[in-house]
Amino acid sequence: MAERPEDLNLPNAVITRIIKEALPDGVNISKEARSAISRAASVFVLYATSCANNFAMKGKRKTLNAGDVLSAMEEMEFQRFIAPLKESLEVYRREQKGKKEARKDKDKKADSEEQDKSREDDNDDDDERMEEEEQNDEEEVDN
Amino acid sequence: MGVAAEDAGGAGPCAGAARAARLPLSRVKALVKADPDVSLASQEAVFVLARAAELFVETIAKDAFVYAQQGKRKTLQRKDLGMMLCWFSLFSFLGTLD
Repeated sequence: MAERPEDLNLPNAVITRIIKEALPDGVNISKEARSAISRAASVFVLYATSCANNFAMKGKRKTLNAGDVLSAMEEMEFQRFIAPLKESLEVYRREQKGKKEARKDKDKKADSEEQDKSREDDNDDDDERMEEEEQNDEEEVDN
Repeated sequence: MGVAAEDAGGAGPCAGAARAARLPLSRVKALVKADPDVSLASQEAVFVLARAAELFVETIAKDAFVYAQQGKRKTLQRKDLGMMLCWFSLFSFLGTLD
């Protein structure tokens, strides 16, 4: 793989904040401990991805979906995460739906006002959906 | 990109658990992309992974804190994470994270 693990780190500030909020007031965390937790979280995502991908492949799907990730949690023995994850997902779906509708209404309004409105800024919706145009089989296979 | 928790439609009863991910989705996406076997991942999948990683961090921190408390310390140190590191040696096939 071209990426080194250091490039796949999660932002320190966010990790630190999550840790601090999980612990009682007045508790600190050493830099080494924070760093170790951060790297562990990266490993967690990598492993969960791999696990989830197995479920996607089992279902003959090429796209990893939320259900696959939840199945991975079960598989990795993090069942206690499943309920809060489902709740978060519901909130997320509602937010995304609201955003889409807000954008549609905005576009409708703008269209009726300006006929030449450019649609360039709608592309961030597509950018958020991850796609790999070039599969690795054309590049190096370092397995 | 991360979704602001403030947009979560008013005061819901599940505000704590249902809070939107604070880890930037772009970074989580980079991790997902690192897997050569994964071709596509839905936005929702990336979101759930981000949220799961947050829960994981919370869990690890809380578990480690138990050890710090036993050592009568108020600062979490690397040695408190010893148990967790054993777990990760299982996943060493993912490469050395040192």
